[in-house]
Amino acid sequence: MQKKALRKRLWKNKIFYLFVLPALLIITIFKYYPFLTSIYQSGFRWNGANVHMFIGLENYKELMGDKAFWTSIFNIIKICIGTIVINLTFPFLAAEVVTNLKGARKQNFFKMGFIVPMVVPGMVVTLLWKWILAGDYGVLNMLLRAIGLESLTKPWLATSSTALWAILAINFPWIAGLPFLLYLAGKQSISGDLYEAAELEGAGTLQKIRYIDLPLLSSQRKLVVTYMLIQAFQMFDQPFVLTSGGPGMSTLTPALHIYQRAFNYNQFGYSAAIGVVLFLVVVCVTIVNQKLLKESENMG
Amino acid sequence: MKSKKVTLEVVVSVIAAILLFVTFYPFFMLLCGSLKDKMQLIENPWFFDLPMHFGNYRVAGSQILWPLFNSLVITAGGILLTLAISGLAAYAIAHSDMPGKSIIYFYIISLLMVPGFVILIPQFLVVRDMNLFNTYLGQILPPTANNVAMGVMLMTSFFKAIPSSITESAKVEGCGSVRLFGRIILPLSKPIMATVAITTGLNLWNNYMWPLIITNGQKVVPVIVAITRITASISEGDGPLFAGYVIAALPILVLFSFASKQFIEGITAGAVKG
Repeated sequence: MQKKALRKRLWKNKIFYLFVLPALLIITIFKYYPFLTSIYQSGFRWNGANVHMFIGLENYKELMGDKAFWTSIFNIIKICIGTIVINLTFPFLAAEVVTNLKGARKQNFFKMGFIVPMVVPGMVVTLLWKWILAGDYGVLNMLLRAIGLESLTKPWLATSSTALWAILAINFPWIAGLPFLLYLAGKQSISGDLYEAAELEGAGTLQKIRYIDLPLLSSQRKLVVTYMLIQAFQMFDQPFVLTSGGPGMSTLTPALHIYQRAFNYNQFGYSAAIGVVLFLVVVCVTIVNQKLLKESENMG
Repeated sequence: MKSKKVTLEVVVSVIAAILLFVTFYPFFMLLCGSLKDKMQLIENPWFFDLPMHFGNYRVAGSQILWPLFNSLVITAGGILLTLAISGLAAYAIAHSDMPGKSIIYFYIISLLMVPGFVILIPQFLVVRDMNLFNTYLGQILPPTANNVAMGVMLMTSFFKAIPSSITESAKVEGCGSVRLFGRIILPLSKPIMATVAITTGLNLWNNYMWPLIITNGQKVVPVIVAITRITASISEGDGPLFAGYVIAALPILVLFSFASKQFIEGITAGAVKG
């Protein structure tokens, strides 16, 4: 009887199954299927064409001893931490500055000013900073020379001790980005009564930021941390275009490592293995991140 | 007390102005630089300089006009496909009692948190084996899988918020599922459609890694890849390159000036993807 009812419900909804079919198809073909084949292919020595030999866990063993892999992991940890620190401070301060201006028109002018650069394509920004950070005729070096700090000039992207930090410096002062919008939206949602009450108690601007905004914007900060972590972990464009991972391996990221192994060395099986390991890393980081954020919530 | 407030306002305004200046100045220099030749770039990168070399834009244009068209095709195609596929799926999930719909929803959105590069290689091989290497479709379909997942997530919650009294009364009057979707749900959903369209569009326009590996030569290369390959003569220097960067940024800036509110919502919606 129940079976019959279920069948009836299935039949009644047949049109809706047709509606979800395209979504299921495209996600299965371009997400799930490659995902599963990457696990399968990670067991092969494979050049993407004629050489295709099952080697079990050999790729994973090689990976554990692959110095480039560990360097890329170490680099991406630095990039993630740097990105998170940058985005928890600069855009927040800018949002505070803008919202503390008097007058709606003045506020809107500055808000828009910081929002417009967000829609400039990331690659344009990267290429613009390639010029700023370049060696002899880089803008930064010319600026240093102009103010008499010639001794500090260096080819920022071609020096292994500075290349990674130079990439992180792109987009300085790092305001024009999603975090700025999130902080702004967060501040708008804080009731004006709170600020008035604080003013009656004699609180100044800094105290209002310290005792009202900082605690009440914690959910925005969590979103910023999660979002920036995911963004930073995938970094590919900047090192690919600016340094090709160099000098040495100083700016090699996991995404770039996967790319190079597959398309420069034709090691498709090995590349797939890196992908599988990184997937596990992402899952672990996500779980730990969620746990940490939840705990900080419990603590207030 | 009053004078203290005034000085504070002055200090805050000055800080805001400095931050805005530092944010904008590199872009201003790019604009100036796009009109210079090699010697001008070396001698005076800071400001506009005469004579202005508008020819830089001709040199850049001849190399990236076709890629600009390619980007337009890819972005427009991807937006339409994403809206159609995710709109239908979200409607079915939000407004039907079909068995298994929560499993379907979970299946669609659960790979969203996997970064694209993790499956880069097998995805490349799938598209190659479908004979879609170096085609528009090969650049549209894989990112669309991602955008559909996000679109379904955003649209499902939006559709669920449409009161069922509206849909029920339409059903009572004999409105079928397809007509209900076209006549009632879609017209009510313009805001969320705009948000998904903008997020999808920005993703597709700005994408670099995927077109880098799935295209070859000039035929279907998008502008974001093409601007990394602009060449100029020695005397022209980097001027034409800068002109190319300006051209690549213009279409989105123009669109933004017409629909800044929708753009801001679209950019913010990208955060929930994480």
